[in-house]
Amino acid sequence: MPRKQNLMRADRLGYVVGGIALIVWALRRPTLLRTGVGGLGGWLLYQAYTGSNPMFRPLGIRVNPQPADPDVAETIVLDEAITISRPRSDVYAFWRRPEHLPTITEGDVEVTRDVEGEQIAWRAMRGARMLHFGALEFRDAPGGRGTIVAARLEYQPAGGSLGDALARISGRSPQRLLVDHLRRGRAILEAGEAPTTSGQPTGRR
Amino acid sequence: MRAVCWHDKLDLRVESVPEPRILNPRDAIVRVSATAICGSDLHLYGGFVPGMVKGDILGHEFMGEVVDLGPGVKNLSIGERVVVPFPIACGNCFFCRKAMFSLCENSNPNAAMAEKLWGYSPCGIYGYSHLLGGYAGGQAEYVRVPFADVGPLKVPAALSDEQVLFLSDILPTGYMAAENCSIQPGDTVAVWGCGPVGLFAIASAQLLGAERVIAIDRFPERLRLAATKLGADTIDYTEDNVTEALKELTGGRGPDACIDAVGMEAHAHHSLAYAYDRMKQAMLLESDRPVALREAIMTCRSGGTISVAGVYGGMIDKFPAGALMNRSLTIRTGQTHVQRYMRPLLARIEKGEIDPSFIITHRMKLENAPLAYRMFRDKQDDCIKVVLTP
Repeated sequence: MPRKQNLMRADRLGYVVGGIALIVWALRRPTLLRTGVGGLGGWLLYQAYTGSNPMFRPLGIRVNPQPADPDVAETIVLDEAITISRPRSDVYAFWRRPEHLPTITEGDVEVTRDVEGEQIAWRAMRGARMLHFGALEFRDAPGGRGTIVAARLEYQPAGGSLGDALARISGRSPQRLLVDHLRRGRAILEAGEAPTTSGQPTGRR
Repeated sequence: MRAVCWHDKLDLRVESVPEPRILNPRDAIVRVSATAICGSDLHLYGGFVPGMVKGDILGHEFMGEVVDLGPGVKNLSIGERVVVPFPIACGNCFFCRKAMFSLCENSNPNAAMAEKLWGYSPCGIYGYSHLLGGYAGGQAEYVRVPFADVGPLKVPAALSDEQVLFLSDILPTGYMAAENCSIQPGDTVAVWGCGPVGLFAIASAQLLGAERVIAIDRFPERLRLAATKLGADTIDYTEDNVTEALKELTGGRGPDACIDAVGMEAHAHHSLAYAYDRMKQAMLLESDRPVALREAIMTCRSGGTISVAGVYGGMIDKFPAGALMNRSLTIRTGQTHVQRYMRPLLARIEKGEIDPSFIITHRMKLENAPLAYRMFRDKQDDCIKVVLTP
């Protein structure tokens, strides 16, 4: 999978249309300003060609043009990991429970693979529509430091890469949900409870 | 109940808010008998710490009586008198097991916020911004204490509130600052800032065997306390050039260890660098003013240690990396792992080796907290430490 790609097909199509429109507008009556705008159009075309918008790079957006699931044409991929100071069997048992799977959408969840102590994979569907699919892998952390849980999740964001970028900036993205989910799981496994402040007093009115 | 609420920069109000209740199995509710204003609370008061929200209850130095317990707390009973450490720590995670409680991975519900600013998140802290969890603080009549089976320390009835209150933060903080200096026989330790943490760092450096401690400040009452109460040598930086004075006092080599007990709002006297930092901070190009830290690095002897106890929040400028690298300096720092130090320091208090109450200059009612903050910030009436009682 080419790692650098962070634009989805719909985004790239939009960039082509927009880029050509800007260039045509610039060529109709060239002025200094319009030439600059035409340059911007060229840059959009170049991004459509490479499939990568450098401004999205710091956000960690990654597109998989050939997802393993045949029902979807392309996905955005999340890879997150967390280390938990508990034996692998305990950590696996916790996430084996369907209500603990880090699903990021409402809808039906179907476990597609389950290798005891090693891996759990699932698909989330609403009717016939694929919402996301994901997998958790469990392995021993080095030096007896517990268990590493590696999560991979693939989904199709509303609004393509741009929509996903805006979601990440606003702090309400699938990436944030997944990380919060893993962190919450660690807190429950290690401390027996997840930290919270909801319900505490404040001077807000 | 009444609580000290942050509304805006320089706008604190004592308000009536609902009483806290148990939210998690390992919670306790403590009725606060005494609470103090920390120097680091002044960074919140001055608006230098991001992530504060209107209505947040302040306070991370407090003690009191256990009045309610979650089902998961087996080692405390209702009615027991406890002092509560400011880092909220689960006791079970990778860091807690290494006794690095202020790095607890399971106590900050807003870890993602802290990660954006600092790479990874430290523990949650009472009343210290939503970056550190947004927990309601202890400058109130009651406070909720998470992981109450790990943090709170029971205190003997023979000791007064004022003798044990500072186990919650500043005494361990001063002690860890001194411990981080790895003091060897014959060592000279210089301490920037003679506020409560600086004074406790001086006392701790002496307990840990420093030959000589040099205290640096500009407030005469603080320097006087360092000299008369603790027997430190003093430098008033408005009168003397600190670099020259330290060189002279240490036989031309510099102090073996330097403690920055000042942090992000440092002052300097008639200095161009200080004007530069004030300007950059006002233009939001720099969040912290590292005047003391720079000086500590530049004056420390080669191969020595700089121990940072003062609080920093974000980015600093003109950091003397060249001095650090070429002269083999070590920097050690961190929010204090209070739980690690409470018991041994309580033992020292019981034995009479140290009585932390000597720093208290003002005793006020919780209702007067806004006035107390202003007095403490402006050092009015020679204010060094304020203890509030509900």
